[in-house]
Amino acid sequence: MHIMEGFLPLQWCIAWWIIALPCLMLGMYQLKKVLAADRESLPLLGVTGGFIFILSSLKLPSVTGSCSHPTGTGLSTISFGPWITAVVCAIVLLFQSLFLAHGGLSVLGANIVSMGIIGPVVGYAVYRLLRDTSMNIYLTVFLVTALADMFTYVTTSLELALAYPAETGGFVSSFILFMGIFAVTQLPLAIVEGIVLALVFKYIVALKPDILIRLKIFSEEKINAARDDAS
Amino acid sequence: MKFKYTLETLTLIAIIVFSVIFLYTSSTMSGAEFAGSDNAGSGLIAELSGRPLEYFQPLIPQWEPPSGEIESCLFALQAAVGGVLVGGVFGFWMGSQKKA
Repeated sequence: MHIMEGFLPLQWCIAWWIIALPCLMLGMYQLKKVLAADRESLPLLGVTGGFIFILSSLKLPSVTGSCSHPTGTGLSTISFGPWITAVVCAIVLLFQSLFLAHGGLSVLGANIVSMGIIGPVVGYAVYRLLRDTSMNIYLTVFLVTALADMFTYVTTSLELALAYPAETGGFVSSFILFMGIFAVTQLPLAIVEGIVLALVFKYIVALKPDILIRLKIFSEEKINAARDDAS
Repeated sequence: MKFKYTLETLTLIAIIVFSVIFLYTSSTMSGAEFAGSDNAGSGLIAELSGRPLEYFQPLIPQWEPPSGEIESCLFALQAAVGGVLVGGVFGFWMGSQKKA
């Protein structure tokens, strides 16, 4: 999902930065509030953020014959919402653009928007839709994670298609071409990522159900039902 | 008694299927280089804009890892930071659960 440094025209770099910055500021404000309200949310932030660090460092091979990164943003999105997730992603993406030449400072805004904002926002919308239904919580985590991952790559395709519309067919045909590279490669990775993070969530539920209930991530009944299933 | 490890089993199956598909495609697909999709994206940009790849120079000067070895070292460092966070917190939770 990294747009490489230099591959996005200056006006688009600025446009995506303008979208990313207020989201990051909101995220930092929320982060301060959440940590001040409940110190025990710090370890949860460590685990959910840790998975973003781990998964986004892996380049996994896919059926299309190319490699791509999972994003790992699902758990953080469910636990803390998309804005705090954007802050964690910004840290990872800054590291990658400074030391790994994956992405760069001018395209950082665009990369934060795809990995840290649109992906998590879509995931969060799915979570809010399913939270109060009878949907199994692990299935919810799976769907949120897989969709946050997929929509990160859809957004990257969108960003590139907007900057580089095809000569014939314009934006739409260009979008389809970029989707062919990014989204198709990503599909199997998103599914595996969803299953793995659902398993991780099972361990969080087993070890620390009280923090999930206190932060109102899932209702007490749902958490207890999930614990009964596992014992 | 209910089966306790449904999710673990599903995860294992998913990872095995994923690996088998990879082994299959990497041995049968000719010309599959397993390069990054990021680079494939850059290639398509060059094609769509009709400019050579060399045309796209960083807008902000950028340090690049001098070799693939160093790049993989730094990626491992990033994963290690995440691993320490995850392992540390799970350990902390397990420890405090035992105490209580």
